Amino acid sequence: MDTATQILVSGLTLGAMYAISTVSLSLVWGALNVLNMAQGALLTLGGYFAYAAVSALGFPPLLAVLITVALGGLVGLLMYLAVIRHMLDTEGFEVNVIIATVGIGTVIENAMLKIFGAYPIRQPIMWEGGFFIGRTHIPYNSVVIVLASVGLMLILAVVLTRTRMGRAIRAVSQNREAAQLMGVPDQLVYAQVLLVAGALSAASGIMLSTITTLSPTMGYDPMLKAFIICVIAGLGNIAGALYAAFILGVFEAVVQFVFGVRFAFPAMLLIVILALIWRPYGVFGRRKVSRL
Amino acid sequence: MTAARKDAIIGAAVLAVALVTPFFLSGRYVIGQLTLFFIWATIVTQWNLVFGVAGIFSLAQLALFAFGGYSTAMLGLYLNWNLWAALPMGGLAAVVLSLIIGLACLRLRGPYVALLTLAISQVMYLLIITDTACFYMEGVTCRNFTGGTRGFAKYGDFGFRELLGYKYMAHGDYYLALTVLALATAFSIFVIHSPLGAAFQALRDNPEYARSRGISRFKFQMLVFASSAFFTGLAGGVYSGYYKVMGANTLYISLLLFLLAMMVIGGLGQTWGPLLGAAALMLADEALKDYPDYRAMGVGTALVIFVLLWPRGIAGGISAFVQRIGGQTRRASASASEKVKSAQRP
Repeated sequence: MDTATQILVSGLTLGAMYAISTVSLSLVWGALNVLNMAQGALLTLGGYFAYAAVSALGFPPLLAVLITVALGGLVGLLMYLAVIRHMLDTEGFEVNVIIATVGIGTVIENAMLKIFGAYPIRQPIMWEGGFFIGRTHIPYNSVVIVLASVGLMLILAVVLTRTRMGRAIRAVSQNREAAQLMGVPDQLVYAQVLLVAGALSAASGIMLSTITTLSPTMGYDPMLKAFIICVIAGLGNIAGALYAAFILGVFEAVVQFVFGVRFAFPAMLLIVILALIWRPYGVFGRRKVSRL
Repeated sequence: MTAARKDAIIGAAVLAVALVTPFFLSGRYVIGQLTLFFIWATIVTQWNLVFGVAGIFSLAQLALFAFGGYSTAMLGLYLNWNLWAALPMGGLAAVVLSLIIGLACLRLRGPYVALLTLAISQVMYLLIITDTACFYMEGVTCRNFTGGTRGFAKYGDFGFRELLGYKYMAHGDYYLALTVLALATAFSIFVIHSPLGAAFQALRDNPEYARSRGISRFKFQMLVFASSAFFTGLAGGVYSGYYKVMGANTLYISLLLFLLAMMVIGGLGQTWGPLLGAAALMLADEALKDYPDYRAMGVGTALVIFVLLWPRGIAGGISAFVQRIGGQTRRASASASEKVKSAQRP
């Protein structure tokens, strides 16, 4: 029983963390058809920004988190304005833009390496301590992560369904040409999507760094896991991404407990390959019918 | 002159230069760097075939290379095979892995392929470096089946030292790597100009029509993916015999990026792109040798700049330049003959 609670708690924490990353990837893919390989670097950036704001500039933690999220959004926006915008509608866009985001990610990651060094640093923004359910220790940090993640998802859901901006984003994701013809300014929508995705990634990066430690490559494996979750959910499917993130978080915790930490990632990969053989467009994804 | 014949002539000329180069260059460092250049260029030509020609967005090429290298090293270490016998086995092992990856991934759409193949390489890397189980004992130290973080050493080499003597052993590796590169390039020229290449062009230009004419994308992609894996695996075997150590550093993301940059900067899908890109990146790397901190940043920036401004790469730029010059001379000669005609007119 205690073990089960333990696994569930760590699984939900992982799931909450992946959920934000996954949704941010899914949002960008859905609206722009861009597979954002700079996501891992954005996570790293978020973690380090928050660390620098607290330890070097002496900001209170909550303010540091808000500033970091804002800066993450800014970096996302810059990525769009400086690079992605110029590539839209060019030949081979889908492939070239992935290569471009890989390049951006490398630059960001190595800038972090240059500024903060290669040694792992502990994230100072963290809710210390915890409480007990039965004999299971539950860290406050996990509770904060789950609540913050659910909160962010709720905000995002409200933004996407209730606001003008959210409706425009969904319209462009569903059918770009039709949205354009209806007068939706697609360039603006893309900029907004990258802004939101950058902000979400920064938030996810802070959470991630409280569980692991800060290092220039810390975002890479979580990015790949978020990709895997996206693939299972079907790229661009945001609600599916959310379910899949929590399910796979718990799955990962179970595998870690039963077979060891080493096999968590391989097991996830195996699951996704089997799932894709069964449903090539993602478990929650819908098949796109291509017309002639 | 047909395009295939032109490529064959260019290839023969480049090969001839490469064959005589060691007679004019002394210095083991230069020979060693050129050997490494041949190895990277082999991987990139095959990757270009997969990625640029067949349109498979695979990021697993480095994993195939490492798998070939590991197989060669492990056959030498565990079964005491001569590395010359283990070398083709490394190529075959990479083919087997590519078939498995291909069956799992190639029915999917582009970005899904990229994600899965990247995840597969990372899983391979993680499984190797987290391997702590004792497979055999070397004295009192415990060794892992996959080599773990330490990798493999002392599994033999190609015996160039005994064969050619200390002075010329580097030349042995040089010519071996060059042979593999020449075979790989010949194969890629063949594929690009064969019906296979035409099929991919058809699938790119008008997928629906190509499919309705019975061209199976999956079948052709599998064919290219598996056969290019053979040369990639061979390159891995050459690498393991040349360096005499094989470790998980062959699966580093930084190396994957370095090779990706070679392919993109050289020119995706262009016959001579990989060689030009590999040469450009190796030279740039040599120039930045004293600033290792900025090496990866430079690669990242170059990637962004090239896909943004020159998506057809160096090779694309050169062929556009040649066409323009050709066009100008043709136009010049046309106008000259025009003048002659008008002069002849009474």
